[in-house]
Amino acid sequence: MKRAVALQINGDTYDVLISPNETLLDVLREKVGLVGTKKGCDLGACGACTVLVDGEAHLSCLMLAVDAAGREIVTIEGLAQGGDLHPLQQAFVEKGALQCGFCTPGMILTAKAALDEEANPTDATIRKKLAGNLCRCTGYKKIIEAVSSAAALNRKER
Amino acid sequence: MRLPKFDYHEPKDFHEASMILSREPGARILAGGTDLLVNMKHKVERPAAIVNIKKIPGFNNLRVVDGVVRIGALTSLKKIFNHPYIAEKLPALASAASSVGSYHHQSMGTLGGNVCQQNRCKYYNQSAWWRSSRELCFKAGGKTCHVVGKEGQCWSSYCGDTAPALMVLDARAVLESEGGSREVDVENLFSGEGKSPLRLGEGEILTEIIIPREAANGFSVYKKIANRESIDFPIVGAALWASPDGGEIRVAYTAVDRKALRARKAEQVLRERTIDQQTLEKAQGLVLEEAKPVNNSVYPSSYKRKLMGILLGSMVNQLMGRSES
Repeated sequence: MKRAVALQINGDTYDVLISPNETLLDVLREKVGLVGTKKGCDLGACGACTVLVDGEAHLSCLMLAVDAAGREIVTIEGLAQGGDLHPLQQAFVEKGALQCGFCTPGMILTAKAALDEEANPTDATIRKKLAGNLCRCTGYKKIIEAVSSAAALNRKER
Repeated sequence: MRLPKFDYHEPKDFHEASMILSREPGARILAGGTDLLVNMKHKVERPAAIVNIKKIPGFNNLRVVDGVVRIGALTSLKKIFNHPYIAEKLPALASAASSVGSYHHQSMGTLGGNVCQQNRCKYYNQSAWWRSSRELCFKAGGKTCHVVGKEGQCWSSYCGDTAPALMVLDARAVLESEGGSREVDVENLFSGEGKSPLRLGEGEILTEIIIPREAANGFSVYKKIANRESIDFPIVGAALWASPDGGEIRVAYTAVDRKALRARKAEQVLRERTIDQQTLEKAQGLVLEEAKPVNNSVYPSSYKRKLMGILLGSMVNQLMGRSES
């Protein structure tokens, strides 16, 4: 049976009618229309569907949408503020950390969760935390550089 | 991939959760969801009902009282390995929790879910399309185990990372049901049957793990060999705990049998003899007698057997303060 659920996404409330067997990923893409969250493997192995749930990196393909009620969800669409890119987004652009861009939303949101947790990570820590996000284009080097430079910028601004 | 349909419950406490489980035998517990939902997408699990226990308050934290560690079953793996006491005093558990899947799985996954995860097999953990090329295996609802070619048996492997660490730390599990609660050794949670790997009574739910004070006084280590360090289940995982005087040594393995396994014969040799190369080789030989790895993954059982000895050697060398191998 479908349920009426209020989802808090990027600071807005979305009232959606969902079945318990719908994943957060499918609801975000098909019912809310936020298609920045990507469907890759759909089995929790590629990280493309990463969103932040109460500030933590979650795989939206392995989370029931009904379970997301009452929790604060941030998708890639919620990162830029007032037309200004988030420092991580800016760093990805400046360092050329993307090619096809399919993995980028998941990469950036995982990096955000990691930097919010630890402002001054080593490259090894960044690699470890991004290891569940697969990129088939870049070879990862530029991605690590971008996250590292966003972290440095963050520290300078503090 | 759509999930099969199911009735959905969000009980307010474990008593209510247990009542639903007793009433609906086809119901399954949902905690972090990183194991169950994958299996449901593959259609190897089709529970009639899902009981989401994640929102039950009071079981997602870790307390250390007089040296006794009590970890709620809903505590995330990340919270466990980031806890200073666990990181410093119980490195085997910290290491095991931090080796589970990716950063995302560690944020979403719970200790209870990791311990109670389903067994794995190359014939079972596959898409419906992949499995459609032959009849269903016994675990997925058919008659025959394709690993051993016998009916009515299942030789899938238990592959949880945290269970062997908890077993060598002598941890106990608190199980709650409508009838009350009871404690069992973590080792006794596992049935050794591939098809239903957990030994739980009707409506019983794992709610807490308790690690005794003595565990923090000893040396402990967990080591894992996986295909990709970043995300994979262990090809073989092993944990070792030793008391400060070496009078007590415990060794446990994962991914080598239908359950997480204590290597008691090897423990006895390591406990009773001076640990030198000869003792180690004797113990390495004995661990092979205790496990029954089979060809149920892409890695042959002979490779797993080799790794069991290598991991034991590596852990014992670390215990003895020798350089890492």
